[in-house]
Amino acid sequence: MDFLAIIQSKPVLIGLHLGFAIIGIDAFLWLLGKLRGDSGSQKSMIVTAAIGVLSFIASWLAGGYYYVVYYGSLVKPVIKAGLAPWAHNVAMETKEHIFLFIIPLAVTTLLITLLNKEELLKFKLRGSAIWLSVSVAGLGLLIGVMGFMISAAARWGVIN
Amino acid sequence: MDKLKLIISSAYASILTIFLVVVITIWAEMFAPLKDWLADFSGHHWVSKSILSVLVYAVATVVLYATLRKPNPTSAPKIIRNLLVLTAIGVLAITAFYTGHHLGFL
Repeated sequence: MDFLAIIQSKPVLIGLHLGFAIIGIDAFLWLLGKLRGDSGSQKSMIVTAAIGVLSFIASWLAGGYYYVVYYGSLVKPVIKAGLAPWAHNVAMETKEHIFLFIIPLAVTTLLITLLNKEELLKFKLRGSAIWLSVSVAGLGLLIGVMGFMISAAARWGVIN
Repeated sequence: MDKLKLIISSAYASILTIFLVVVITIWAEMFAPLKDWLADFSGHHWVSKSILSVLVYAVATVVLYATLRKPNPTSAPKIIRNLLVLTAIGVLAITAFYTGHHLGFL
C-alpha cells in the first residue's frame, strides 16, 4: 500500500480530520490565553493563529474528502436506518455547514494578530480578538461533539 | 498595507460569507432545483457551498480592501461584534432549521 492510499483510507482520514481540528482548537485557546494575559510576543501570536488557521484548513480538507467519498454511501445509510437518524439529519447537516463559518472567523483573528500591542489598544481590538478566539475554539468544540455523536450513532446503527 | 482596513474588510467579508452559507443552505433544502444546481456545479452540494464560501470571502475581502475609504480607527470593534452576533444567529438558524426539518415542521 503506497502513502497516498494510506492517507486516503477511512480511519486515517477521520484521524487527520479530528487531529488537525484538535490542533486548531488548541491553537486558538492558546492564543486566547496570550490575549487575555497580555503575554507573548506579537510574533508568537501570529504563529499561533497561523497554526490554527492552517490546521482548520487541513481538517476541512481531510474531513471533506471523507464526507464526499465515503460518508454518503457507507455511513449515512447505517445512521438513517439505526436508532438515531437525527444524528445525520440534525447533527451532521448542522456540523458540515457551520464548519464553513470557521475559516473566515479564524483568518480575521489571524489578521488582528498582525497589529502590535499599541495598535491593538489604539483600535480597541484586544476584546474583539479574545471573543473571536473564543468563538473559533467554541465552534470547533461544538463540531467535535457533533462528530462524536455521529460516529456513535453509526456504531450503534451497526450493532442494532 | 493598511492593517486596520484589511481587518475590517475581512470582517465584512466574513459577515457576507456566513450570511450566504445560511441562506443558501436553507434555501437549497426548500427549493430542490437550487440543491440540484449546487450538486451539478462540483459533483456534491457541500463541495459547491465550500467553494462558494471561499470565493465569496476571498473576493469580498480584496474588493472591500480596494474600495473602502480610510476607516475610522475605532469602528472595527463594532463590526467584529456584528460578525460575532451573526455567527451565533447563523449557528442557531441552521441548527433550528435542520431540527425542524427532521421533526417535520419544515
